[in-house]
Amino acid sequence: MTDESALLREPWIDFGRQLEAGKFGIWVFLASETLFFGALLLTYTVCRIEHPDAFAAAGRETNVWYGTINTAVLLTSSLTMAVAAQAAKESARLRRVVLAGLMITAMLGLAFIVIKGFEYKEDLDKHLVPGAGFALPQPGAQLFYGFYWLVTGVHAIHLSIGIALVSRLIWVLYRRELPAKDNPEIEVTALYWHLVDIVWIFLYPLIYLPGRAS
Amino acid sequence: MSGRGASNDIRRLWVRNLIIWAALLLLLLLSLVAAYIPMGRITTASGIVIAGAKSTLVVLLFMELSSAKPLIRLAAISGLVFLIAMFALTFADVLARP
Repeated sequence: MTDESALLREPWIDFGRQLEAGKFGIWVFLASETLFFGALLLTYTVCRIEHPDAFAAAGRETNVWYGTINTAVLLTSSLTMAVAAQAAKESARLRRVVLAGLMITAMLGLAFIVIKGFEYKEDLDKHLVPGAGFALPQPGAQLFYGFYWLVTGVHAIHLSIGIALVSRLIWVLYRRELPAKDNPEIEVTALYWHLVDIVWIFLYPLIYLPGRAS
Repeated sequence: MSGRGASNDIRRLWVRNLIIWAALLLLLLLSLVAAYIPMGRITTASGIVIAGAKSTLVVLLFMELSSAKPLIRLAAISGLVFLIAMFALTFADVLARP
């Protein structure tokens, strides 16, 4: 009971309603994010239909190992985030599990950014930035890499926001400013984190897998 | 006694989620291998279908949409509905060009 009164915010008179409203709000936001990334993926698809061979050649130039390892890193971060969020709902005794789960999640998020940094360095060395001096002869390949830089950059911004949100949660929970049990902020942050993972799940076959079989 | 209860809770939480995680990594491996098998358009489709399967697991089990209330499910599905409309209308043009 004391936990709920510490978490209750204006304008809600009841904690159950606050929890529902928070979940509803984040899902509406995630639906809008789905459309935002969906529009980018649609642009990619239309360009790929127009330039199938150039997209296969461009896809072959990406480093499939960086991409696969980073996908595994993000999937694992979703695991630790799910455990943290479920532990928070389960029992107040699991506060340490929540904290540990959030810490590993934030570290895996950082690991993703670091690996992506190494990959960007390699892409720059291979002259894979569209414009003068681009490595591949096909014009369509520049469209692929235009998409690549834009969408991986936007994804990295989303992930960085996620890391900041998770770090903030660790801070307030560690200092016991807020209880972990039934904390809506953990639930909402976890849902956002999983969406950033899902975006990457779709980017993986579109960026790293074209042209591997040919 | 409460300590043992907590450790049982912790084990149950991890086992449940580790199974989902193992399935996700297996699907990742499957899509990587399938990408190297020349099957034409099926190769491309396999990557996208597997991505769909992975995100279904994440949405239903990690994001717990399978046990969410109807209002939450509607909010989640609304994004998908408009996404399908956007893709369908665009493909109606792009794929029908001579």
